[in-house]
Amino acid sequence: MILIVNGGSYQVQGGARTLLEVLRDDLGLMGTKEGCGVGMCGACTVLVDGRPFSSCHLLAAQAAGKEIVTIEGLQRNGNLHPVQQAFLEHGAFQCAYCTPGFVLMTVALLAENPSPEDDEIREYLSGNLCRCGSYQNIVEAVKAARRK
Amino acid sequence: MAIGRSVPMLDAPARVTGTVDYMINLRLPDMLVGKVVRSQSPHAKLLKVDVSQALHVPGVVAILTGPDLGANALYGASIKDQAVVALDRVRYVGEPIAAIAAESMDAAEEAAMLLDIEYEELPAVFDALEAVQTGAPILHEKYTDNIFIHSKLRHSDMETAFAEADEIFEDVFTSPLAQQSSLEPHVTAARWEGDHLTVWTGSQAPFMVRRVLSEILGIPQESVRIIVPPLGGAYGGKGHIRIEPLVAVMARKTGGRPVKFVLSRAEEFVTVTKHAASITLKTGVKRDGTFTARQVTIYWNGGAYADASPLLVPQGMVRSVGPYRIPAVRVDSYGIYTNLPPAGAYRGAMSSQATWAYESQMDIIARRMGWDPLEFRLKNLYVSGDRFATGETLHDVHFIECLQAAAGAMPAGPSPEVNKEKKVGRGYGVMMKSTVSTSKSQARVKLDDSGVATLFTSTVEMGQGAHTAMAQITAGALDIPFEQVRVVGPDTSVTPFDSTTSASRSTNMMGNAVLAAGAAMKRRLIDLAGPLLEIPGEELRAEGGRVLTKDASISYADILKRNGLPSLEELGEYSTALTMDPETGQGISTPHWHQGAGAAEVEVDTETGKITILRYAAASFAGRVVNPRLAQLQNDGNVIFGLGPALMEEMALDGGQVTNPNLADYPIPSIRDVPLELISVCIESEEGELHGIGEMTLPPVAPAIANAVEDAVGVRIKDLPITAEKVLHALQERLKP
Repeated sequence: MILIVNGGSYQVQGGARTLLEVLRDDLGLMGTKEGCGVGMCGACTVLVDGRPFSSCHLLAAQAAGKEIVTIEGLQRNGNLHPVQQAFLEHGAFQCAYCTPGFVLMTVALLAENPSPEDDEIREYLSGNLCRCGSYQNIVEAVKAARRK
Repeated sequence: MAIGRSVPMLDAPARVTGTVDYMINLRLPDMLVGKVVRSQSPHAKLLKVDVSQALHVPGVVAILTGPDLGANALYGASIKDQAVVALDRVRYVGEPIAAIAAESMDAAEEAAMLLDIEYEELPAVFDALEAVQTGAPILHEKYTDNIFIHSKLRHSDMETAFAEADEIFEDVFTSPLAQQSSLEPHVTAARWEGDHLTVWTGSQAPFMVRRVLSEILGIPQESVRIIVPPLGGAYGGKGHIRIEPLVAVMARKTGGRPVKFVLSRAEEFVTVTKHAASITLKTGVKRDGTFTARQVTIYWNGGAYADASPLLVPQGMVRSVGPYRIPAVRVDSYGIYTNLPPAGAYRGAMSSQATWAYESQMDIIARRMGWDPLEFRLKNLYVSGDRFATGETLHDVHFIECLQAAAGAMPAGPSPEVNKEKKVGRGYGVMMKSTVSTSKSQARVKLDDSGVATLFTSTVEMGQGAHTAMAQITAGALDIPFEQVRVVGPDTSVTPFDSTTSASRSTNMMGNAVLAAGAAMKRRLIDLAGPLLEIPGEELRAEGGRVLTKDASISYADILKRNGLPSLEELGEYSTALTMDPETGQGISTPHWHQGAGAAEVEVDTETGKITILRYAAASFAGRVVNPRLAQLQNDGNVIFGLGPALMEEMALDGGQVTNPNLADYPIPSIRDVPLELISVCIESEEGELHGIGEMTLPPVAPAIANAVEDAVGVRIKDLPITAEKVLHALQERLKP
């Protein structure tokens, strides 16, 4: 089957494999991380046709033919995506294991709602866990990114 | 000046682009995957472990079982009771019985199902208080009462002191089993080349791993190389020794092929836990608001193996007394074997359980005696020059400033109540935590002839920003721009010794080692510059990347070039060696007492018991802040992390089996749990010593919330976590006639 990832088409083996496994093991896209493996922590978030999904909880076959964006697909001409830049400027991470998921979730949020309020940000990001507890800086980064 | 600036983390771009190379990304040529086969019984004799069927599965390369182990198969911090894989007995559900190395996880899983294991069940015990009763099942024959360590603190005559009290309070506070839950699991890979072993692992203590592996494997420490990439969180859970022995011994059976183990989330819950604790506090107070005596009895549930507990239980003893002037103190701190997974450090180790007890009791006392809880604390908190229950004199003490900063961040007067079902209350917490008493840090600084400095350090970067802070300290010590500093490590074949990255010790211990290396480097540069400038060394100083007097100067880079030196290296070292009398606990327990405080304002819904944290303010004593933003992240992160054990975290067990080993059923704080308003500050002092702040604002969280709940609705919760169910139940009990 064909997966369209970050604008490129890839022939991959389907079967009962999660999108996360295929992205990491077959395509070498290591930015997507497994945290909990049951769709609860958001560390493996990717965008499928612009919508956020936990890639540990999605079979690769379910994403076949759709536009998949991973953290590797956000930069343009070597420049950070505005959301990445905002996360960097606001120190919105510590161990950063969860950061790709938060960044992609924020990209999805701002696409749906370009000027979310604090409570809308908290609501939208409530499925992503940051065990280091960088949430305050994450909210600040999202607020900064919405202005860009 | 590099110290004191909020520079971004050294690898900040990698952190926002997902390109940090954590252990899970490691790929080596010919690498095999590893799988652990675990006990399904909490306590049993192993009658049979037959691997013959499993070995036939295509793709299976080797299987490790007990009989493969050599003479030194047992390990542990000081009590060597834990085998690399089970020998003839298992003592908890989840204990490794075998390990499989295979070409694929499918093959390893198929082989795991074909292992033929027979158990003869033995009686099991899971609760520490039951385990010390006569007749309880015995886990290790050498410890017939299941007590593997008993730490004692004896300070002054208790009988006399309690007799002087006007009131005596006795309460029991409990903390449940919990799990560190770093989003990155434990991951370790190992490869043998002849008699040399290389291990890549997500560990907080690479040199400890090296020493223990050398002992288990019977090879010199120099033949073991430990490489630690950045960690995706640790919080104590990657301290001490975890899966490294199993992976290293497994790799010896694969004919030189490397093997990598990635634990599943469920396996995390049986690999390391937070000590469940039961703490009894008996405290004597006088009507004038001073203390006479405190007796503390703690039962730490250590699980089936002593692990790091023999190091942690004595720390738990001194951490249990609290930051108040109490003339007579007695502590008995017991480490207990039970048929549960081994316990280890969990951020704020032992302090969280202890602070939960002593800060909850502070409010119980204050309310019963009719005192204001804040005033009662301020009246009794230690100040510099006071003597602690160990007999040591306390220096650089800032508890009062911490508490006042936290309390002062609350608005004047409580928040108005929205309606009569929702009540608002405030509470406070203060904590006092020792760090590692005996440890050593070394730092090597290399300056090259382009003026770039490289710090070689075995401090582990696990998200706390330690490498960035160390780079700032290096830049400060050499007086060069931060941008000219690189950091390498940990790699035990390249970077010098460090005891561990834990107990908030690194900023202080490694920081001072870096300062020493930097000072030595400056002296070398001055010595080398003297002849070039034709000025005696004593008239020169090193500043701004140059050696200079008022008339002449030369850059560091030119000093090296003109001496024909491609680089210069200096080693700095900082160590402490403190001891206490084992029978009395008298002596010096820590090079520095960590200090923190918190203030909580909560709203309690009296119809549901639901607690909403309206405001939380936290303060920690930092000495001198290296990086304000990273410090704020530590302070905030501690509060948010601390909401877990305070409000929601508890491992559920059924017959020793963890029944919620996943992040759906074991909740950790999400962005929705963060207080609506969260403020944190670092307190600095004129002395300007560098101190760690990795835990200080965490332990006060749970008691501050419980105290605020009592302030709001008049019920006292003594067993963590403070759930809505418990609050509601307590409210209903109160209404009963």
